[in-house]
Amino acid sequence: MFKQIKDLAGNEFYLIASLLIFMVFFIMVGVYLIKMSKSHITEMSNLPFNEPQSNEYEEV
Amino acid sequence: MQLEKFTYDNKIVRDFGIATIVWGIIGMLVGLLVATQLFSPSMNLGNQYTTFGRIRPLHTNAVIFAFVGNAIFMGVYYSLQRLLKARMYSTLLSKIHFWGWQLIIVSAVITLPLGFTSSHEYAELEWPIDIAITLIWVVFGINMFGTIIKRRERHLYVAIWFYIATFVTIAVLHIVNSFQLPISFFKSYYIFAGVQDALVQWWYGHNAVAFFLTTPYLGMMYYFLPKMANRPVYSYKLSILHFWSLIFIYIWAGPHHLLYTSLPGWAQSLGVAFSVMLIAPSWGGMINGLLTLRGAWDKVREDVTLKFMVVALTSYGMATFEGPMLSLKEINGVAHFTDWIVAHVHVGALGWNGFLTFGVLYWLIPRIYKTELFSKKLASFHFWIGTLGILFYAIPMYWAGFTQGLMWKEFSEDGLLKYANFLTTTLQIIPMHVLRSIGGGLYLIGAIVMTYNLAKTMLRGKLVANEEAEAMPLEKVITNEDAADKKWHRVLERKPMKFMVLSMIVILIGGMVEMMPTFMIESNVPTIASVKPYSPLELEGRDLYIKEGCVNCHSQTIRPFRSETERYGEYSKAGEFVYDHPFLWGSKRTGPDLHRIGGKYSNAWHYNHMLDPTSMSPGSIMPAYPWLITQKLDISMTEAKIRAMQTLGVPYRENFDAVAQAKLKEQADAIAADLKQNNIEVKSDREIIALIAYLQRMGTDIKANKTTIPSNQ
Repeated sequence: MFKQIKDLAGNEFYLIASLLIFMVFFIMVGVYLIKMSKSHITEMSNLPFNEPQSNEYEEV
Repeated sequence: MQLEKFTYDNKIVRDFGIATIVWGIIGMLVGLLVATQLFSPSMNLGNQYTTFGRIRPLHTNAVIFAFVGNAIFMGVYYSLQRLLKARMYSTLLSKIHFWGWQLIIVSAVITLPLGFTSSHEYAELEWPIDIAITLIWVVFGINMFGTIIKRRERHLYVAIWFYIATFVTIAVLHIVNSFQLPISFFKSYYIFAGVQDALVQWWYGHNAVAFFLTTPYLGMMYYFLPKMANRPVYSYKLSILHFWSLIFIYIWAGPHHLLYTSLPGWAQSLGVAFSVMLIAPSWGGMINGLLTLRGAWDKVREDVTLKFMVVALTSYGMATFEGPMLSLKEINGVAHFTDWIVAHVHVGALGWNGFLTFGVLYWLIPRIYKTELFSKKLASFHFWIGTLGILFYAIPMYWAGFTQGLMWKEFSEDGLLKYANFLTTTLQIIPMHVLRSIGGGLYLIGAIVMTYNLAKTMLRGKLVANEEAEAMPLEKVITNEDAADKKWHRVLERKPMKFMVLSMIVILIGGMVEMMPTFMIESNVPTIASVKPYSPLELEGRDLYIKEGCVNCHSQTIRPFRSETERYGEYSKAGEFVYDHPFLWGSKRTGPDLHRIGGKYSNAWHYNHMLDPTSMSPGSIMPAYPWLITQKLDISMTEAKIRAMQTLGVPYRENFDAVAQAKLKEQADAIAADLKQNNIEVKSDREIIALIAYLQRMGTDIKANKTTIPSNQ
């Protein structure tokens, strides 16, 4: 099954380099997420509810 | 600081909403028509403007760019204003955007049946319309960024990142996949040829799915689902992680549309690896959506909009699980070119895009009309008939796909193809195609019921065209930022331009790594000495092949499987396509592959087959093309076409354009004379002659080759 990504006749460089680029990028995003403060997350996830409520349609 | 009063523009939201519904019904209706054509050739209606090859692109363009496109703009214009606490930047730009987009759709509705097509899937529209799309897209961008800049909310909610990524990536994809050399107002050639053209097209094609059918819908999901369920998104961290991973990974996956073709092996492998990885960020989005409903499942029973959302998310999950599986070469070898792929895309289109759109429409229309939905019962009926429609569509198509994929590959005990006649495999799945059209019909009935329900709702209420709102203005200067505030993502959440640039860099990496070496390094596309440019008549014939949309049913790439080389002949090599502007490999085999059709049958066979396919292949579902025999071949642009090909690097000798007409006539006369010997009287200046010339040339060049042909496999 892994033949299709292992056997590249000397062109393994492209695959390895690409996966490395992604790993670095993913780790960067991961590190940022771990460092993120809880209050900020709560604030961000509540943004759709910060609308002026008086002008909202009320469920009857 | 004082509260500022302003209004939300609901009229533009309503307009895009109505356009979504109208084009949705039209697009689905055309879909139903093409579905019936696949079991009843009479449904081609006996004229050239409604044959499958010309109408199928109309269906795909209508549902993608008209139905989903308008739904995106409806969702974006509604949520963007509210998330940013600001009216759209310019009401005029909103109007230009709306009418411009509808005009583009109308021009597609006119030009595609007339046969004006570039042949690139989901990018068929000719160059003047491509330019119009670019301009209108820029108008949308200015309007969106203008609104972001004048916002009253400092942070950009995750939905807006998805909208920004959509805007940037679609712009890049559309421009690169529209590099064409115009010959006339309605004819152009792609500047890339063969393998390179295929790579660009499927980099575009795959990411049109990603950035037109997925990211804007995820953005809408992140806004509308929390609003409907009245609770915040399950995990904001997950939304960040899956956003960046999704846009990074998606762009690499295009080559999985070209597995086992003559695309360089390493590029295929990159496509496979990243496609498999893609399951993680895709499911991140689905899980985040479904878990947003945690503790609110009781609402799902009551609220029809949430029912639509749950099925939409489930369909998204199924389609994005299946996608990576289909990218595995072993599975792709069986599934590709069959109805399996049709089933796969329709789970996504009908389930994810369709149902999410319906959910948003049912939620949004009553709100901007300050009333209640006319009938919850009808909406519930729509939900159930729509769900049934999806099942009746998808299950028969999977069945048909497995059947056909396996039949193509089956050998008898003697080592011969068990179903050597391709038509046997087509006829086997006819009942499945009938069932599929019933599924499509049920889905369409649901959409019509929704139209009635929403029209009644609109009549009952009154549009709040300018909805009043108030919010504090944004403080211009921020001093004494604490250290945590300087984190890069928070900066990005406030700086939309930086955000746009970063997301553009992220989406450019994948495309560049895959494309640059294929374009720059010669060994990636080995040339073959015996492959020569097309003769003028063959070139005209090829353009007819493009015009009639033959590529919608016939591939031109033979994969290196014994089952294919037995059936069709020598497998396709990269060097055979170097003069193919555009490539015509296709993505579906409703009929057999045609790459080695040249020399397989006589001219007379082709003539009779085009006039009435069933005369040569009893039971064939191919439409008849009698107009090719009566219509005169348009040779007014032959010289210009030759010169254009020279500009693109096709090595016709100098001043060849001056003798092109004479060469064309000479070859046409020879074919007409040959037909005459077989008792077929036809003038040599008819379209059929050019098409026969092209069909007879296809794939024959390498037969003259005595040396070994290098392979990329």
